[in-house]
Amino acid sequence: MDFRRLVKYLAITRTQVINSMTYPFDLAMRSLMIVIFMAIFAQLWSATYRAIGQTIIGGLSLNETLWYLMVAEMIVLSKPRLTNTIAEQVKDGSIAYLLNKPYNFLLYHFSVALGDGAIRMVFNALAGGAVVWLLLGPPPHMASTPLVLITILFAWLIDCTLTAMIGLVAFVAEDVAAFDWIYSKFILILGGVLIPLDFFPDWLRGIAQALPFAYTTYHPARFFVQPDPARFAALILGQALWLGALALLLVCIYRRGVMRLTINGG
Amino acid sequence: MRREIAFLIALWQANLLAAMEYRVSFISQVVGMMLNNAVYFIFWVIFFDRFKQVRGWGLADIFFLFGVVATSFGLGVFLFGNALDLANVIANGRLDYYLALPRPVLLHVLASRSITSGLGDFTYGVLSFLVARQFAPDTIARFALSILLATTIFVTFLTLVQSLAFWFGNAAQIGQQATNAMITFSIYPTTLFEGGARFILFTIIPAALIGAVPAEFIRSFSWEALIQLVGAALFLLAFMLVVFRRGLRLYESGSAIQIQV
Repeated sequence: MDFRRLVKYLAITRTQVINSMTYPFDLAMRSLMIVIFMAIFAQLWSATYRAIGQTIIGGLSLNETLWYLMVAEMIVLSKPRLTNTIAEQVKDGSIAYLLNKPYNFLLYHFSVALGDGAIRMVFNALAGGAVVWLLLGPPPHMASTPLVLITILFAWLIDCTLTAMIGLVAFVAEDVAAFDWIYSKFILILGGVLIPLDFFPDWLRGIAQALPFAYTTYHPARFFVQPDPARFAALILGQALWLGALALLLVCIYRRGVMRLTINGG
Repeated sequence: MRREIAFLIALWQANLLAAMEYRVSFISQVVGMMLNNAVYFIFWVIFFDRFKQVRGWGLADIFFLFGVVATSFGLGVFLFGNALDLANVIANGRLDYYLALPRPVLLHVLASRSITSGLGDFTYGVLSFLVARQFAPDTIARFALSILLATTIFVTFLTLVQSLAFWFGNAAQIGQQATNAMITFSIYPTTLFEGGARFILFTIIPAALIGAVPAEFIRSFSWEALIQLVGAALFLLAFMLVVFRRGLRLYESGSAIQIQV
């Protein structure tokens, strides 16, 4: 692969970052949701830890649980949203105009989405982090933040491949909203966004931790609160394997869909 | 009064018939919303499987909580769907259509739209109450009364916030955040919150009054809960009417041609 060709996608991402910052007030308003979630979670889990009378539950202290939830919510609330964008372009046929451009359709959308998500993540991190810091103190380990950002990038790429696949279902189905909705619910529960997977029943925990949904939220957030080299290596390996498998599937679905589009006259 | 009730019933009938025109879409929206609520309930199933009880609340209490929140939310958005979109109606000059007709403006604009998925919320809420298996006549009566009061509080609060569009340009964003806050806080027991947070949940964002308070009222009768609910409903209703009327005096036509179907 000629890596010089990837430079244009970085330029697309940079342009989208600049675009996203046009209305900072709107971005700040949208960050209210993470403030609300963290205020609720702080109350809920403080009461739970007090009621149980333990300082550690499922290997997590109260401080670690709240920072875990903050990072998980930040990832989900900031992540790129590809499904509707791709589905609309497939349904209204405008994909035909994008296919003859000097860039890859999927990589273009990934680049735009990453630029969008990066700015949202900054605002969500500031808002959510401020709430948790005020209520429960600083995060247990901040030195691992650069590595966490790498895992979040991989998490978003996995999420992008899944949501792009859902968007491409529009080649065969009229409405992809139901599939998108099901996927978002899998992320909420099996991704450990509402409750850490460590609190799950034993039989469900192992299954959930192996699925790709956990690699988009649970594992990066878990690494943030308890970083160690072995966990990082396992996390990156798991994300790389899932990303590879899903990217291969996505390319097959995309090529099949484009072929179908061409045959039918676009 | 009888004319207005007949008018409302005719509006709701028309909205329901329009929603059911496409059966598959109608059913998928209703069932989809029911499944959506069930997924949030799974969180509590997992939580209470691990922690049994927190501050006097267990899984059985969450059935009542979801029952009242989902039913009142569903009823509110199905019967008065424009309570979620009033700010946009005002900001885009779409009140002109309603002002020209011989019907109460606020009632007409709120009831002229129905959110179909609200029926899914309503159905799920009723099922959640039924699963709690409390079929004593007084419990059912308290459930019905709680729904009426919680729906009133929910719709009037939303209308109040959305009416800020008469004064602020970006009230739609504020309205959306207020809706999200209201719904998010309402599905958690208020016993979890203390001090300032608890005060906010009973006043500025009255989520406790559409969730935990009616849920506790359904569990067992208390004069305190009844007075809180009735008082809040009447106060918000009166306040909403005053604010909307004041705001309407500031309203200027957008001069856009509007087609209402």
